[in-house]
Amino acid sequence: MIGISFYRVFKAALQNQFRNIWLTLATLVIMTITLLIVQMLFFANVFGLEVLNSIEKKVDLSATFQDGISQEKINEVVKIIENRNDVQNVKTISSDEALLIFKQRNLDKPFIEESLKELEENPLPASIFIVATEPRFYEMISKFLETERFSESIDTIHYEDSKLVIDRLISLIDTVKNTGFIITIVFGMLVVLIMFNTVRLAIYSCREEIDIMHLVGASRWYIRGPFIIESVLIALISVVIASAIAFPIIKSIAPQLESFFFEGHTQEAPFNLLQYVLSEWSTIIGLQVAVAVGLAVFSSVIALQRYLKT
Amino acid sequence: MIIFSNISKKYTKEGAALNGVSLKIPTGDFVSIVGQSGAGKSTLLKLISAEEKPSGGKLVIDGWDITKIRKWQVPHLRRQIGVVFQDFKLLPKKSTFENIAFAMEVGGARTKEVRNTVPHILKLVNLTDKATSYPSELSGGERQRVAIARALAYKPQILLADEPTGNLDALHSWDIVQLLIKINKLGTTVLLATHNNDIVNALKKRVVTINQGKIVLDKKGGTYKL
Repeated sequence: MIGISFYRVFKAALQNQFRNIWLTLATLVIMTITLLIVQMLFFANVFGLEVLNSIEKKVDLSATFQDGISQEKINEVVKIIENRNDVQNVKTISSDEALLIFKQRNLDKPFIEESLKELEENPLPASIFIVATEPRFYEMISKFLETERFSESIDTIHYEDSKLVIDRLISLIDTVKNTGFIITIVFGMLVVLIMFNTVRLAIYSCREEIDIMHLVGASRWYIRGPFIIESVLIALISVVIASAIAFPIIKSIAPQLESFFFEGHTQEAPFNLLQYVLSEWSTIIGLQVAVAVGLAVFSSVIALQRYLKT
Repeated sequence: MIIFSNISKKYTKEGAALNGVSLKIPTGDFVSIVGQSGAGKSTLLKLISAEEKPSGGKLVIDGWDITKIRKWQVPHLRRQIGVVFQDFKLLPKKSTFENIAFAMEVGGARTKEVRNTVPHILKLVNLTDKATSYPSELSGGERQRVAIARALAYKPQILLADEPTGNLDALHSWDIVQLLIKINKLGTTVLLATHNNDIVNALKKRVVTINQGKIVLDKKGGTYKL
């Protein structure tokens, strides 16, 4: 009995979709466009955060060690700093490495090479470069390095020079993140409203049919069933179409985005949006299906409730 | 048997659509309900199909006190009562066959039963050749015959016809009335609300006259008098 009813409800849903083809298409187009906007916004958000992360990683806090410091002492300092939760990465450059880098940078300036030869000792100190988990932690790390504990190891902390840049960066990152969050919330609400009203309008156009079904003795679920299945099918098809449109767009713009935003990025492999989409596709599609189907069912039930008066 | 006991129905605080109506309609009866517009004819039928709830009194249909009917019981009641409306109320996106089949399907009829029964009903209302036509492709008379066929689909004990000829010409109106007589002869109780005095006079059946929500005349073999 339940099987027959489900078959009939499902058949009615498919029949309604084909017989109301223009209404079905209109609903499908609106839902697809809405989902496409959501997808693009989501990818823009993911990409934007990656760009900010990459900028954050380009900023570091440097300090120079005291002259003649032993490698053991340097290792000890590095270990202490690395153990901090707010430190992401620590890198050191010995005075010999510093000299080598300096020479390489000035290969075209022979007078510098001559000057260095005049000096008996290497004038460049060993340095430490600290990358914090977030820019706002640099001040705390700097104060930590200023403590008595490091007075014999560290000579100069180069924080005050870059403080202005770091503060501006913190402010910029916060602004971008907050704006992104607000835009996401606003668009999220718009999407809910658009999808809700699209389903409601589709059902509104069938209100007389709903009334007739009720009058001939159809139960509430027998009336609701086809509408709910119809909206779920439309939601699923919209997800497929929106993803099918979004994928080639991402594929074509991902290399340009990568080269534009991550050019000269040497610390690690640059973020590639296409690779991200390919690796996370099941989550992306699953989330869309969950949201679209959930909204479709919710909107159908709410909209139908109005016309299902006894 | 339909029993109205002191039934009243108020839509607003001021006036009553029905006021103290008491009426007994035995099974298999054919009753014409007449009265001016707004007299309460449609309200009387709507109370039977539970489209409206009475404000007072008691309404019993075949031993079922429907003044206490629950929302979930309404579809069950409606599957026992066929209703025919002036504006046909056919599902526009379903064919003649599907409109009739729908009424059977909502009642839980098996597919085989639907396939066997619908052609018989179509033959009864003389619409076999219109089985695949949609309501928009049918004339007014044909649409009303589809509506009657749908009302008959689940073999109802009671058939309510609310101005079924209101949108039809004289020829088609007579077609519909003949069909209602035929259905009544098969044992179904028929309640016909109408303005058409020619039809009521020709029927020579029981006539209940309503005026301002009250029954003013109830006569077997009666005529149209306001």
